[in-house]
Amino acid sequence: MEAVLAIGSTGSKLESVPVTGNDVKDEYYWVEQARSGDVSAFEKLYRANIDRVYALCLRMTANAAEAEDAAQDAFIQAWQQLPKFRGDSAFGTWLHRVAVNAVLGRMRKSRRERDRVDAVIDISPMPESIGDDADLRDLEKAMDSLPSGARHVFVLHAVYGYSHDETGEMLGIATGTSKAQLHRARRLLAEQLSTHGRTTNGASI
Amino acid sequence: MNERNDTSTGKPAGDALMAAASALPKEIKPGRDLWPGIEQALTRKQSWIGPRNRQGVFAQAAAVLLMIGASSGLTYLAVKDGSSPVSPVVTGVERVFEPVSGSFGSRYTLGPDFLEARNALAERLEGEMEKLSPESRAVVQRNLDAIHDAIVEINKALAEEPDNVLLQDLLLRSYHEEVALMQQVGGIRNSAMNRTDI
Repeated sequence: MEAVLAIGSTGSKLESVPVTGNDVKDEYYWVEQARSGDVSAFEKLYRANIDRVYALCLRMTANAAEAEDAAQDAFIQAWQQLPKFRGDSAFGTWLHRVAVNAVLGRMRKSRRERDRVDAVIDISPMPESIGDDADLRDLEKAMDSLPSGARHVFVLHAVYGYSHDETGEMLGIATGTSKAQLHRARRLLAEQLSTHGRTTNGASI
Repeated sequence: MNERNDTSTGKPAGDALMAAASALPKEIKPGRDLWPGIEQALTRKQSWIGPRNRQGVFAQAAAVLLMIGASSGLTYLAVKDGSSPVSPVVTGVERVFEPVSGSFGSRYTLGPDFLEARNALAERLEGEMEKLSPESRAVVQRNLDAIHDAIVEINKALAEEPDNVLLQDLLLRSYHEEVALMQQVGGIRNSAMNRTDI
């Protein structure tokens, strides 16, 4: 039996992860075990979800070291908040939201410790995540240069397919603000990409 | 998803941009295994705020608060009713308690003014204790010991969870209870002993 776990509940362009019925049952089992305090069960959930959580954190922070810390925070917070997880959505969906909160929490803290974060940025280059695709690599670089507000909206809406309502809810901003930030992000990205010789037409981005 | 036909990028360009964004990989492997750090944090936190023990922690915290509140009440009754006979101080094992100066957690700091005023109060307490009956003195001493034990335990927990707001508040209240207890013994009222000193 095939099932699809969707990241995001109502968005039209969701990240779909094909999983088998057994996977769903396994996840439910491991969640229940973890809720009862079984750390090894939680490790199974970590192994199954870390790559997706880390990718989200990396795109939101644009910094590998910060992303690793945020991903760790996300799983620690998920562990603490497991009693609140009611199973209304897939565990991965819920975990995504926890990760967004972890990133935002760290960024609020980082603003207070800007010097420390700047030092981290200096020594933490972004990993090459998309192989040899130059267009996508350029897009990723351009995304990294976006102001954080615009980057967060672009990542959640354009990359992960969350609706503006969902994006606004996750980031704690109004739906209209989410739309405005997306508009800003697209304008800045278009400028950035054209500066680097990439157009936003045709085969190129 | 609503596509914008914005003039800065043009609709086709915008579509291409959004399509490219949605094509970005959704899974990226971190440069290192993050589990050991997570596991360490979970194992450390489990005794305080893990899923299984969360209720126990708050029950424990509530118990300490109740204990502190009860000690204040008992002290009040003992001091109120037992101040007439004066007899020499008899104590069992001499206990020395030193408050931890400097900061605890990220919210409060035991300021030098507080420490100075508290120490003055503690010195004065010795004289006031001599005026109490042995029974009242024993009650006061037991309650002071209970508060000091609580402070030591809370400080141990804070060493592991420096930003645990519950523990920080508990510690703050414990210090206030200690001061309130000392004030009760001699009917001392010292305006320096308020929350702003911590």
